[in-house]
Amino acid sequence: MSEHQKPDTLTNLILRIAMIWRGVFTVVAAAGVITVWSGRLPEVPLWQKILLSLVLSIAAGFSAFGAVEIARRNHRGRMISLVIDYLAFVACAVMTLNIGEVFIGIDALAETFGRGIPYLGIVLAGYLLSSMDEYSVRKQTSEQSLKQVGRWVMIFGFILFLWQVDTINGVLYFLGKLAQPAGLISVAGMLIFGAALWTVWRQPSAAAMHVKTNHEQVISGWLFLSPNLIGFLIFFAGPLLLSFYFSFTDSDAFNTPNWIGLDNYAKILNIKFVTLSSPTQLAKEVVDIKIYDEVGRMMFGSWGILFAAADKFFWLALRNTLTFVLFAVPFSVVPALILSNVLNSKLPGMKFYRAIYFMPSIAAVVGISLVWQWLYNATIGYINYFITLGIEFWNNLFNLAIVDPKIQWVSDEKTALFAVILIAAWQTMGFNTVLFLAGLQNIPGELYEAATVDGAGAWDKFWGITLPLLAPTTFYVVSTTTIQAMQVFEQVFILMNPPEGPNNSTITLVLYLYRSGFQNFKQGYASAIAWVLFIVIFGLTLIQFQRQRQSSIYES
Amino acid sequence: MKIQSYRLLRFISNFFLYFLLTFFALVMIFPFLYMLATSFKTPADTFRYPPRMLPQNAVTLAVDGYDEPLPLYYVDVDGQQAEYALAKSNIKIGTYAPADNLTATVDRRLTEVKPTGGATNQQKVTVNGKEEKLFDVDLDGQIVPMILVSQTTVGEFIDPKNPETKIFQNVRLSEPVESVGGHPENYTEVIELNNMARALTNTALVTILVVLGQLVTSVVGGYAFARLKFPGRDTVFVFYLGTVMIPFVMLIVPLYQLMVLIGWTDRLAALIIPWIFSAYGTFLMRQHFITFPKEIEEAALIDGASRLQILRKILIPASVPALATQATFTFLYAWNSFFWPLVIINVGNEKNHVLTLALNVLRGRASDTPNLILAGAAIAIIPPLIVFIFGQRFFVESVASSGVKG
Repeated sequence: MSEHQKPDTLTNLILRIAMIWRGVFTVVAAAGVITVWSGRLPEVPLWQKILLSLVLSIAAGFSAFGAVEIARRNHRGRMISLVIDYLAFVACAVMTLNIGEVFIGIDALAETFGRGIPYLGIVLAGYLLSSMDEYSVRKQTSEQSLKQVGRWVMIFGFILFLWQVDTINGVLYFLGKLAQPAGLISVAGMLIFGAALWTVWRQPSAAAMHVKTNHEQVISGWLFLSPNLIGFLIFFAGPLLLSFYFSFTDSDAFNTPNWIGLDNYAKILNIKFVTLSSPTQLAKEVVDIKIYDEVGRMMFGSWGILFAAADKFFWLALRNTLTFVLFAVPFSVVPALILSNVLNSKLPGMKFYRAIYFMPSIAAVVGISLVWQWLYNATIGYINYFITLGIEFWNNLFNLAIVDPKIQWVSDEKTALFAVILIAAWQTMGFNTVLFLAGLQNIPGELYEAATVDGAGAWDKFWGITLPLLAPTTFYVVSTTTIQAMQVFEQVFILMNPPEGPNNSTITLVLYLYRSGFQNFKQGYASAIAWVLFIVIFGLTLIQFQRQRQSSIYES
Repeated sequence: MKIQSYRLLRFISNFFLYFLLTFFALVMIFPFLYMLATSFKTPADTFRYPPRMLPQNAVTLAVDGYDEPLPLYYVDVDGQQAEYALAKSNIKIGTYAPADNLTATVDRRLTEVKPTGGATNQQKVTVNGKEEKLFDVDLDGQIVPMILVSQTTVGEFIDPKNPETKIFQNVRLSEPVESVGGHPENYTEVIELNNMARALTNTALVTILVVLGQLVTSVVGGYAFARLKFPGRDTVFVFYLGTVMIPFVMLIVPLYQLMVLIGWTDRLAALIIPWIFSAYGTFLMRQHFITFPKEIEEAALIDGASRLQILRKILIPASVPALATQATFTFLYAWNSFFWPLVIINVGNEKNHVLTLALNVLRGRASDTPNLILAGAAIAIIPPLIVFIFGQRFFVESVASSGVKG
């Protein structure tokens, strides 16, 4: 510690300015809170007012505390100043970019971007050139020159790219926007907060405020994390809380939402089971059809149970989604498990097969679904054609007369969901195969050798060694596939027309969420659906986790 | 002897294994081949049954005396198959028979036959209780009144070597002579039809910016988590970990409202900015950096390097594989995403469509031309496949490692 060094007069002056600045900031922030509630602002929703005043009050409070601490030359004052000024600086920088229409300007860039793409190719070539030195044989000499040449090529290509996409006009436009009052204010804000940051950041100020040595790491840590954390809070954590709030409102995305308590959840969960006296009894005879719709009925001889719900579509969607998960997950995981065991043998060509199996999982679901739509075509599609060929072959072989079913894959309510299941299983199988393969390669080979010595067959080894030791991977594969399958949407949306499928046979939870939130704009209700979906996913994962824990005795 | 049978057994089992692998490989690759093949077909070719894999074209031949090249068909000439050119189609042929002997039919062109007794006063005869019109049919120079039994449309086929030889036969039932040949112009057509070029550049721009942005925030954040000690770090990290399993659909409604608030609906910015912050990516980078030996870093710090310099000069150059892994993941995610663009970009605003949205529009617009739809699908699917072929190692091995660690 350098406590024997007296701070010089300049540092004292700067710190006094910093203290006064904290005071000014406190006053301004407090004034801001008052303005928010004075009614002078144009129409601002309540939650925004609350949020804004909360942020400002916290800033004002900490700023006042910081002023005192700076006066006492406590290191805490420096920390508070740095945090507040940094956040304010970032806010001003984002404001500047926003006023300069940089974010919106991406649209304008997209217009000219096509012209620039070839020049990005030059940049890429330059990069490849500069990274080639690692492989060059004559290290000392060519390394330097290749790297240099590559770098120059990159710079040259990038300049050409900027020129092609019309950067000059973009920059001029940006500056023009900044020259207006709002722009000038935000730029001034950036400068002021930047200067304020400097006053307490500089080494003499730090010394004068008795900072500890680990402070550098603390500040760097938060500074490095800050871009990520700020984005995470704004675009993830914040919306997550907001979603929870919306689920208790009748939000429609454009008007001020009204708090309606648990109404959304109540409507979703409002269900009724009633007994039926005959299979043909109508639903209106046993339930109030102003509230309830029939979802399904189950008959046991002459009597049965009718399942009615206030929101029939939700329960149909839940039924379809769970059915989807129940089939799509095993259809994807079981073949993956078998294939990975085959691929794990050290035969030649396994990498080739692995690459082919992996291909479907990198292709866009939308494109894949379009392809399958034509494969499923009932009259000219290949799937029915193969079925026809198979049946003909079988009939000829055994002299049978099996009738060709000519399945209407997507327009028959019995097969529509199955068609979606097949696509999803096909697309995720290769990904899961690679995951299993990685798990298999972690199993020590000695175990198999020992088992072979003990006279175990391949089948015994699979059940006795592979499966138990693969349990963690299996848990991971099954739970990620399940979470993904619970959110099935894109395949259904593209494959089915309308997306709900014939007689609502392919309406899924996410599809229903989309329909509620973005076609009927009942966004509060959609948020409630999202939370119910989350709880179902969470529950399923928890169950799998429990089972995995039970079966992981083998591991220890 | 024992070794011999062991070898045989192994050969059989290997054969079986390869059979299984190849079967699944065919299942996996078939839709891609179908997509590519169909995207080069003509619309008529796509609707053919039974379906054929390779795109085929009708063969045409220039024949003397005809302006246009004529399409070739297989026809039966004296029990032998020959290639004839279709000179004239839509020739209406009637099958006529005398009213008292319906089996003695003759074929005549409708235009060659006149109604018996003139068009206004055509004579009729009753056959099997039904009244039938009578026609004058020229039978070897003799005019015989006959009734029309049936009527077909045929084409006039001529021998290309000898245009005087003519054969009449049903065009639809004749097999056309075809040769394998693609129509790459399907691709230019679909690009023009659906503004695909703009969608392609939009997708490229969005993907590049998301990948770069996410790499920067993840590397910097992951470094802070892995290497810097500061109060609150572990709490934040647990928080990050917890959110990895929260499905994206949870956020779609509030994120949409946030975009409405900022004014980014219908803007490409909405497809980019929210996605450059990734808890999962940060987690992956942290896992990577934490395996790095600390000593190198400490030595550099003592030499007076700043944290940013250490990151830039030491850690990043040594982490190219990890960065490539993360970049490939993000690339796929950004390139293939559909739900969020569907929500945020208006269907009518085609200027800001990405490929998946363009495909969604194309699906309705070209529903009767699968060749165009599948050409569009190929435009969306092939770039990631090319990236996959070049960066296969990163793809496959990164998936493997994510599973083992996670």
